[in-house]
Amino acid sequence: MKPSLSIRQLTKQFDSNLVLKGIDLEVAAGRFVVLLGPSGCGKSTLLRTIAGISDPSSGGIWLKDRRIDAMPPEQRNFGLVFQTYALFPHMSVEKNVAFGLEMRRVNKRDIAHRVAAALELVGLADYAKRLPKQLSGGQQQRVALARAIVIEPDVLLFDEPLSNLDAKLRDTLRDDLRALQQKLGVTSIYVTHDQSEAMALGDEIVVMKNGEIVERGTPIDLYRRPAYRFTAEFLGMTNVIEAKLRDRACQLPWGDVRELENPSERDVEGVAIRPEDLAIEAVETDHHGVVEQAMFMGAATHYWIRAAGKTLRAITSGGRTAILPVGQKVRLVPPPMLHLLRAHHPLQEVAA
Amino acid sequence: MSGSKVKTATLLLCLLPGVGYLLALFGLPLVRVLSGSFTERGSEGPTLATWAELFGNPVYMDGLWFSLWLGIAPTIVSLCISLPLSALMQANETSRKLFGTLYKIPLVVPGIVAGFLVLVILDRGGMAGRLLAPLGVTMPRLVRDDWGAGAIIALSWKTVPFMTLIIAGSMAAISKDVLSAARTLGANHLTVLRRIQLPLAQPGVTAAVLLSFIGSLGSYVIPSLLGPSYPLPLSVHMFSEGFQQGNWPMVYAMGTLLSAMAIAVLLAYYAIIGSLSRNDTARG
Repeated sequence: MKPSLSIRQLTKQFDSNLVLKGIDLEVAAGRFVVLLGPSGCGKSTLLRTIAGISDPSSGGIWLKDRRIDAMPPEQRNFGLVFQTYALFPHMSVEKNVAFGLEMRRVNKRDIAHRVAAALELVGLADYAKRLPKQLSGGQQQRVALARAIVIEPDVLLFDEPLSNLDAKLRDTLRDDLRALQQKLGVTSIYVTHDQSEAMALGDEIVVMKNGEIVERGTPIDLYRRPAYRFTAEFLGMTNVIEAKLRDRACQLPWGDVRELENPSERDVEGVAIRPEDLAIEAVETDHHGVVEQAMFMGAATHYWIRAAGKTLRAITSGGRTAILPVGQKVRLVPPPMLHLLRAHHPLQEVAA
Repeated sequence: MSGSKVKTATLLLCLLPGVGYLLALFGLPLVRVLSGSFTERGSEGPTLATWAELFGNPVYMDGLWFSLWLGIAPTIVSLCISLPLSALMQANETSRKLFGTLYKIPLVVPGIVAGFLVLVILDRGGMAGRLLAPLGVTMPRLVRDDWGAGAIIALSWKTVPFMTLIIAGSMAAISKDVLSAARTLGANHLTVLRRIQLPLAQPGVTAAVLLSFIGSLGSYVIPSLLGPSYPLPLSVHMFSEGFQQGNWPMVYAMGTLLSAMAIAVLLAYYAIIGSLSRNDTARG
């Protein structure tokens, strides 16, 4: 059983800049947790602090019962995969993969055996003798992955590993990575700014902003029932609409009344309607808005609808319907239940 | 036919600025030195007499070995200081700033000044000796000693900043992620230096070794100021043969020999480096 990881009250200060503001995070054994946030939110700093290549200013990190935050990175037994691959350019693929085992003084026969198995696992068995520069970006990242898993790490850490790859390769490697993690069952923390990557990979997503955790949950929970507007907007597209709240229901600007999923919410910033949940019907009279722009994307058509003084987005899927022309009058059909979004207020910066 | 001749002529013309420069300023003097070494003072015809005299005279042969010693020893001493210093400078911002300023100081001090500094501090009865005397410590002989310790110290003092400049530069070019990757895989600082930083900075280290070795091998001021009265390095012999004895064929022969020795030492260095770096790329 792989151990769990606990992070308590972790802060990191660069000069007078507090980049991590007291992070508390529990990662259960064998879970795949994705840290998601815009650039500069502190997610990479958090990951590097967990790996030990950056020191926290205060707070602690525990691997099960063992406190590890003062331990140098070479004693932590964590595998780290970098955005830049970070392969050793002067070593062949197999030497790169063997490096961590040599550091652990594994005997030569076992090294050869385990390196071959790891390269087999990432589909690069035929590339053992090559130098990193003779491989494509995707292959290099597979080598980096093999190098990280061959040491049988307690925790696998990923720092935007797919960001340097082109779109098609990114999808393939992403699927392989998920399959591999599930097979190995290694506790994993994955940093990305790409919401689709986060949803595809994570058992759980931790949304970060300005050095703090906004909220965490399963991809479905965060997508369908985010607590905060920031989460709703960062995780996919959403329409945030100011609606009149009435008891357990709300009235939308164009008159429709809908029940609320979470009527007791306070400090509300609006209701969320995902574009794919907002249906549109072409009408001649009694319209709510007009089509401002339509974009055919193949599997779906994206519409920009001008209604109630703002532009809303709607997505219709399926290939049977005709595409509505720009200027077409439409009725908006929101889903039966709506979800309130809370405003997120950043923590006050702690004086140094 | 004429087309290809024009092509060749154009090619030669294009090469002229670069190759011509090399030929005029490097090739010609070298040929002059080499041909001059096969003459003899007072006669014109080609002869091996000067070479015979050079190899036959133990004073000159001792000078040759001492020259080599003065080339190699300061290079090794400076390397032992510059390599860890360069690596430390990569560790964090504070050490980069601290060492980054300190190591540059000797850069702006001329060689002769450095020589006199060593003389004033390390000579018997110098500052160090007087400071240590009350503690009952007697300074060993470091100036004009048989091993040329004073000269080696002064030459190293001058070479360390140049070496550090080059080596730290090539170490700074190594991706921080690559070093972090090695750490997370289980390598401590020393292993990272040995397995990652040194092999990757090797072109820079080679350039630094080359510059330091050639510079120290041909140095004149510092060994004549701080070195022993016997043996004298070939550079000092060359000066006295030329300007005091007027024996220019001997100067040419010594110059040729010194250059040949430099080439031989560097070839040996490349052979060692080559066999070291093959260990990691090939299967061990």
